[in-house]
Order: sequence, then C-alpha cells, then structure tokens
Amino acid sequence: MSDENKEIRNDIKAPKSTADSSYAAKAVMSEKDLKKTAAAQTVMQILVKFLVYAFLIIMAIIVLFPFYWMINSSLKTLSEYREVVPTFWPRKIMFSNYLEAYNAANLGRLFFNTVIVGVVSTLLSLVITVLSAFAFARLEFKGKNLLFAGLLATMMIPGELFTITNYTTVTNLGWRNTYTVLIVPFLVSVFYIYLLRQNFLQIPNELYLAAKVDGTSDIKYLWRVMIPLSLPTLISITILKMMGAWNSYIWPRLVANDEAHRLITNGLRNAFKDTTGDVNYPVQMAAVALVSFPLFLVFVFLRKYIMKGVSRSGIKG
Amino acid sequence: MKAKRIIALVLAAVMLIGLTACGQNGGKTVGFDIPAGGYDGSEVTIKFYHTMGSNLTDVLNIYVEEFNKLYPKIHIDHQQVGGYDDVRNQVSTEIPVGTQPNIAYCYPDHVALYNLSKAVVTLDELIASQEKIKRADGSEEILGLTDAQKADFIEGYYKEGQQFGDGKMYTIPFSKSTEVLYYNKTFFEANGIKVPTTWDELEQVCAKIKQLDPKSIPLGYDSEANWFINMCEQYGSPYTSASGEHYQFDNDTNKGFVKRFREWYDKGYVTTQKIYGGYTSGLFISENETKSYMSIGSSAGATHQRPTADADGNYPFEVGIAPIPQVNASNPKVISQGPSVCILKKKNQNPQEVIASWLFVKFLTTSVEFQAEFSMNSGYVPVLKSVKTNPVYADFLSKADGGKFISALSAKICLDQVNAYYTSPAFNGSSEARSQVESLLVKCLSDSASNVDEFINKAFRDAVEECKDKE
Amino acid sequence: MVDSKQQWKAWLYLSPAIVLLLVFTVWPIINTVRMAFLDNYSGLQAAGGETFSFGIENFTRVVKARRFIDCLRNTMLLCVLTVPISTMLALLIAVTLNSIKPLQKTLQTIFFLPYVTNSIAIGMVFAAMFNIVGSFYGTDRQLVTTAGIINNVINFFSTTFTGKEAMVNWINIGSAYRENIIVMTVYIVWNALPFKILILLGGLQSINKQYYDAARVDGTSRTRVFWRITVPLLSPMLAYVIITGFIGGFKEYTSIVGIFGENMGPANDRDRLNTMVGYIYDALENNNQGRASAAALILFGIILVVTLLNLYVSKKRVHY
Repeated sequence: MSDENKEIRNDIKAPKSTADSSYAAKAVMSEKDLKKTAAAQTVMQILVKFLVYAFLIIMAIIVLFPFYWMINSSLKTLSEYREVVPTFWPRKIMFSNYLEAYNAANLGRLFFNTVIVGVVSTLLSLVITVLSAFAFARLEFKGKNLLFAGLLATMMIPGELFTITNYTTVTNLGWRNTYTVLIVPFLVSVFYIYLLRQNFLQIPNELYLAAKVDGTSDIKYLWRVMIPLSLPTLISITILKMMGAWNSYIWPRLVANDEAHRLITNGLRNAFKDTTGDVNYPVQMAAVALVSFPLFLVFVFLRKYIMKGVSRSGIKG
Repeated sequence: MKAKRIIALVLAAVMLIGLTACGQNGGKTVGFDIPAGGYDGSEVTIKFYHTMGSNLTDVLNIYVEEFNKLYPKIHIDHQQVGGYDDVRNQVSTEIPVGTQPNIAYCYPDHVALYNLSKAVVTLDELIASQEKIKRADGSEEILGLTDAQKADFIEGYYKEGQQFGDGKMYTIPFSKSTEVLYYNKTFFEANGIKVPTTWDELEQVCAKIKQLDPKSIPLGYDSEANWFINMCEQYGSPYTSASGEHYQFDNDTNKGFVKRFREWYDKGYVTTQKIYGGYTSGLFISENETKSYMSIGSSAGATHQRPTADADGNYPFEVGIAPIPQVNASNPKVISQGPSVCILKKKNQNPQEVIASWLFVKFLTTSVEFQAEFSMNSGYVPVLKSVKTNPVYADFLSKADGGKFISALSAKICLDQVNAYYTSPAFNGSSEARSQVESLLVKCLSDSASNVDEFINKAFRDAVEECKDKE
Repeated sequence: MVDSKQQWKAWLYLSPAIVLLLVFTVWPIINTVRMAFLDNYSGLQAAGGETFSFGIENFTRVVKARRFIDCLRNTMLLCVLTVPISTMLALLIAVTLNSIKPLQKTLQTIFFLPYVTNSIAIGMVFAAMFNIVGSFYGTDRQLVTTAGIINNVINFFSTTFTGKEAMVNWINIGSAYRENIIVMTVYIVWNALPFKILILLGGLQSINKQYYDAARVDGTSRTRVFWRITVPLLSPMLAYVIITGFIGGFKEYTSIVGIFGENMGPANDRDRLNTMVGYIYDALENNNQGRASAAALILFGIILVVTLLNLYVSKKRVHY
C-alpha cells in the first residue's frame, strides 16, 4: 500500500450506516433544510444518469453492430451476400445455411477436440500461472526482478517468429498430431502471470505473514486466501484461455490437422470451400455464429461468478 | 538499471549465436535416379496435399479406389490444406523439418519457392523411363509416359512444368482454368454489336455501349495482374525471366498499353476489381442502372457471372462467352491458371515413395474418366485433349448455354482455344512481380497526376525497385 | 529478507513455467537471433544444404528497404493514437457501467460480446461499413454504386444541417492517408475495448464501496472522487492495460489486413499502411527468415525501450 492510499483510508471514519449509504446521505441532506439545493441536485443527478445511460447504450449499439451483421450475413444466399449494395435483412432467410454448416464439418468431433484442448490447457495454465504469480508476488529470491523483466521482454517479440522454430521442436519431440502439441507449447502466458501478479500484490502481505505464523502451508494459503480474492482475474484468464483454444488457427493447422485432433476453427475453414476454391461466406458465417454461441453461453454463465468473486473480496478498508 | 541487465542478456544471447552458425554441404539439382525394375511392389504410404472441397474429394476417393485395384500396396493419404496459399505455407514450413508430403497441389510460384531447398523431384527421368511395371490385375504399364499420353496433354498446360529456367520438368498439370470474356448476349444482339476479338475492336464496342447507356461502365476486368501479363505476352514484350535479369517489365511497349488503358479509364470504358472495390462480376450481373456489359474473369467462375434467376428459373439476360480480346487475332495468347501437382523428395528418401507418387500422379492426370468427372464437378477444364470425346463429358458440353449450363459453355470455349495458353516464368520473386504489376496498373489507371508520362515512368521504376528490394 | 527456504520454494513454483518458456520461447528467440546474423538466411535454402556467412547484412538491408521508414511511422502513429483513446474510453465505460444498477448486467455482457466473435468476420464488417463500391466522385469513370453505412450517416447529417451532400472516401481507391488512419484507429480501438473494459471493471469492482460512501458523506465532488479515489486504486490495472496496449500496438498487423486486405493500403497505394509486423511477414513470405528475424529484433528493441519507459513512469504513479 502506498502512502497516499493509506491516507485515504485514514480519512475514512467508518460510515454510520453501511446498509445503503446513498439514502443515508440524502437523509442527512434533507435534514439540513436545503431543499432547493437538493432539488437542483436531483435534477443534476437525473441528467447525469440520463447521459450515462445514453452513452452506454450508444456504445453498446456500436459494439453490437458487427454481431448483428454476422447473423444477417449468415442468413443470406451466396448471391445476395455478394451483392454490391448490402441488404440489412436477408430477402430470403436461409436457415439451411446453419444446417449445412453443421453437416459439412464433422462438428461433433470438432467440438469434442476443442473442448478437450480448451479445458485441459486452461486448467494446467491456471496452475502454472498461479504458482508463478505467487512466487513473483510473495516470495523473495535472487534475480527476481531480472527474471520478471526478462519474462516481460519475451512478450515483445512477434509470436510469428516462434512458429518456425517451435515447429521443428515439436516435430523432433514426435508430438505432431497429438493433443499434447495443441496444449503444451502455449501453457505459459507471461500476460497472465503479469496480470495475476498485479492482483496478488494488492492483497496485503500481513495476511501471508499471519498465515505463516499459524503454520499454514503456502498451497493452503493460496487456495484459501489468494485464489478467492483474485477470482475475477482468474476467471478473466479462464475466459481468455478458452477463447484462445476456440479461435486458434495457424498453429493447430500446422501441427495437428488430422481428423482425430482437428480443432473447430480449422475444421470450419476447410469445410466451406466450393469448387472454385471460393469460400461460401454465408455458410461460414453461420458456422462462426454456431461456434460463438457456446462461448457466449459460457460467458453469461461465468459472469455470475465474476460478480460473486467481487462481492466476496471484502478484505480492503 | 533493469535496462542495462536486459541489454546484457541480449548481448549474451547474441554471442551464443555466433557459435551456432551452421555448416552444411552444398548440392545441385540432380535428376531422379530410378531404381532398376521401377516399382518393387512394396508397401508405401503417399501423402497428398490439395485444396479440394468435399464434393471433389468424393470424386478423388473413387479414383483412389480404382488406383488401389492396380496397386493395392500404395496407400494414398490425402488432406485438404485450406487454399492454395495455405498449401504453400504448410509445405514450405515442412520442408526444412523433412515432413513434407509426397505430392502437393501447386502453382509455379510455389514450386520456385520449394526449389530453394531442391526438394522438388524433376520428372524428366520418370517421364522417359521405359521400365515395365506389373500391376495387381496382371496387366503391365511402362513407368514413363507413352508418346500417345504425352501428346494428349494440352500443350500449353504441359509446358507450364518447364517454366523454371533450366528447361527441366517439375510439375504435371492437374486441372486448369483461364480467362474468358463474358458478355451480355441479350444486349449485344438487341443492339447489333459484334463481340470484339481484338483490343481495337473492344475500344469501339466500349464507345458504342457508352453512347447507348452513358451510365454504364462497359467492361470490367477482374484481375489487373493477368491483364498486364496477358498484354506483355500478346505484344511479345518482356515481362519477367526465370534466368538472368528477372524483372524486365519496365519497357516502352508496356508503358504504351498502360497509357492507353488509362485513357479508356478516363473515358469511363473500363474498371477493374481493385478500382471498383469488388468483383466486377457483381457489376456485370447488377440490376442497378450502373452496370457493365462485358466482364473478363476466370473461366472457373462462370456461375458467378450469371445473373440471378427469377422465381420461374428464367435469367434476366443471356450470357455469352468468348476468348479474351487479342493484339493479334491470328496469334492468340491467354494466361493458363489452376493447379498442377509436384512430387517432393526428402533427404535419404525411400525411392519407392517417389515411384509410387509418380504412378499415382500419372494415373490421375492421364485418366480421361477422372479428368472428365473432376472437371464437371469443379468448373475447371480437363488437361487432356481426348476428354472432349469422352461420352459423358461430350454430353455435358453439348448442353452448353448461357444460363443453366454456363459452366459447360465456359469449358467449351476454353477447350476451343488450347493453342493460346501460356504461363509466365516462375522463380523466387515471380509472385512479387505479379503483385507489383497489379498495383502498378491500378495506380497508373486511377491516379489524377497531371504529368501522365512522368507518373507512369516513375511507377514502373518503383515497381521494379520494390521487386528487387524484397528479393 | 532473502532466506534460503524461500529461494528454493520460489524456483520450485516457477519451474514449470521456466521449463516451458525455455523450450518454447527462449530457444526460438535464440534461434531468431542466430538467423538474424546469418546473411540472407533462408530456411528452405538451408534445408537444401546452402551455408550462410555471419554478418549484419540482414540489418542493413532492412534499414535500407524503401518501405521500412513507412512501416515504422505507421506503427508508431497507430500506437500513439489508439492506446490513449482506447484506455480512456474503456475507463469511461467501466466507470459509468460500475455506477448504474438497472441494465448493468446486460450492458456488461454486450461489451464483452466482441470477444466471442471471430476477428475475420468483424474485419469484413468494418470494411463494409466504411466501404464505397465504385468510388464516389460521380464522374463518368467512377460511379457510386453503394456507400457504406458510415457515409450514409454522415450524408444524413450533412444534408439535414447544411443541405449539402457529403461523403468521405475512407478506404477506397484514392483515399487519403489521414482517412485511412482514422478508420484504422476506430477499428483498433473497437477491438481493444472488451479486454480493457474487462480488466478495468474487474479492478473497479474490487475497490471497496466504503471509500465512495465516505467520499459521499464528505460531499466530495464526482470529479474529485474519480481522480482521488478511482484512478489511484485502479492504477495497477491501468498500468497493465496501457503497457500491454503499447506492446500490442507495436505488433499491429491483423487489423490492417482485416480492413485493407493483403494490399495493406488503398488499392492505388499498396503497402501504404504496412507495419513492422507486416514487414516481417513479407520477409517470411519470401522465405527470408534472416531478414524477418533482423526486423523482429529491431522491433523488439523499440518495444523494449517503450516498455521500460512505461514501467519507469508507472513506478512513480502506480499505487499498490
């Protein structure tokens, strides 16, 4: 904690009511016989609320537009899609695109492979990330800063260059066309370690020292205190990692493009070429929509946990 | 402080590298050594990379089965690896590790790239071989191509395999396409317009159309690069060379036709895919008042040049297809496109794999039935002349019209101009040359520069320099 | 402070990460450096048995290349534009989102939605939004057949308020550099928002409400609360999104392909918007791994300097 932060904390003399202090604040106001000011403030507040909502809703529309466009395109015929003036709603709705998308690719197998790779790599990656972030945030060891700076530095090299060398490595290890090759090379993400370390650093060290005195083991402390407190970050990492598995394309195509291990993006890309080598975009869009849907569900489901994680973090103040 | 340490780390890494610099033996392209007896009947698995969609792999699978009746111990493991560029990227990543396929779909540019590692098998020895091979059904064939088989290939396609500067044969044509002129037959007939066969005639036709319909852009040319390269070939003026000085397109003839096209563009006669911002087939089949009446595009994309049918299945206008205009109608030239196949070798390779790959390639490319069926399913053109006489294919061609059977019409036009095909030289850098002349043409047509000659001169100079820069 | 038990424990915890990084990150980096210092190294030629001499020709060729300065300028410009804009916007959205009750969850979900769409599809949509097919001068040779939705909107306001038609050539043939950059900025910012909002909102929600309650009791103004409480408590997250934003910005490539395609610029000016990573890709495409590696090391050097600068600034400003 920085000095400034402590200052703020010292300023806070525990509020009288913790139930709903905004009402409490208003109540205090009205007692002070300042009705006019209060009225003006209410108008201000409504205006501010209005502006806030207007801003958020406009941003939301901007954000949503491409999503709508994807669905719009996925329901068009190929010739309507190729039209010079795009139509905002398909003249002829082609639900059959979705059926075609599902049938054209061996979608069941693709889903299965992707889920396996996604889940396993997310779990392993979380373990590695938590352990590393803990070491960087809580433990003192020689060369810590140097190592951390070195890790950060690796983020700065364009990943495309790694592909050439890594391809040689996994081929020599005999990993081609296995799940291993899809999972192991990308388990460590310096991004995630950095992110989680920042989060761990916010948890007061006193807790750790107290736990040490009680004889609690590191792992137990991690599990009981650190992890619950940084749940939002961990969930963010989970989402990002799952997304990665779902959307990865170049690497899987290179190293595991056989029927048994092919992932969803590769399968979908390959499935919709028509005879001239052109892509049937509406069907592909339908496929993208189909693939996005489970992710969307996962996100909606996990969002509750983000909320919970946040509300539980009553450690500060 | 941290910075210093990191710099030290980087420097240390740099030092390390100096020590690991490699040393390997050099080698020259040598022909393939055919083992005595040719194929010895041993068990081999052949990996084949292509870009076929599921409807074409169905056709392929039927013929793999046929092939296995003759050679049951040669297993074909074929994979679709995305599009043409994906195949190139995959294969060029795999070659240094030694996991490349035995056979790959290829364009000449790809082969030039693979050739940097000398991994492409030259086919001359295989083609010439008279070794007798026993097949499982008791029959015999020679390992090489018979004279009849060789003569059956459409010459322009077959020659593509020898465009690599050393005269050796590196690829066998698999399935081809070219560029054709699509025109609005209904409109042409109604107004008594004759289909242009030369660029001069085309200019007059454009002027006429512009009079009849001032809101139109008479001609859309999809591929700027093909337009430039076709013009070079038709004029007999240099474009590129596989040996010696590669980039030869900066010359007066080429500047001349570019300037002429710029004038056409200024008059509103013509547009291209890049300038228009979309496939010009979209303009050709457009139902708006802005449209075109001619479109030059790939023969394999015929169905995209056909307007949308109404509810009764009638087309708003009939499409006509003709060869593209020429500089000299008696010596026509048009670019040949579409995949060929090449055979790749590895270090210490079992020569039987190469032999088996060759047998399979030969089987597919010389089989009239396969070529016929593959072409009908793909919209591409067969590479053998005799496919025309195959009853199924002949029936397909006989249905050719400007509506429902437009693919057949396109194939028919292609098969009628087999003498016109050529391919441009392939070398490491030929694909860069292609993209440079493409942007060159777009730039020269559309820029609003006041001093046109100076602008064109500079654009040509820059394009050559960029080619060399990226070499 | 450094006791030996902590020492070995730390290395134990770090061992899985370190082993994997050594194999899949450090070794490739070393290999990259090796290739960068072998003159005109090409993987395929090496496989064909060719040898390469040690030297710095790759670096000199990269620096002397006609397009190199352009690539550098584009990269820097996009970075300087997009990182502040996207961070501010994400902060604004996160703060306002955190301040409301009804619709909060719905809006939150919407702001993350771009994360679950395919980036290729999004790129195509943006291109269509800004696109003009057939160009817009309306002369004989360039007939407008369609203008993208953005131009429809601009035109609507323009005709309503000034009575004049107005269309901007954003990305098509003949468009200006400034317009190209505006489109790229919008797209990159749009792309960067969900992640930044996710991180910042997570940070905001872990700030204890009591700070705000106390501030309200004291009658502190909103602006003051924002600058005195929110920003300091959020500073680790802000530092994170800014640093990763810069690193990502210097590696910008795919978003430009998304809008302009492989042409990396409007049709009449190829490679106008090419970036450092684009340059590396070009070299890889032509199987010049040596030059690609050299360009990557140059890029690495630049990012390193910027990141160290960032860390130096944030050390003074970030409050843990």
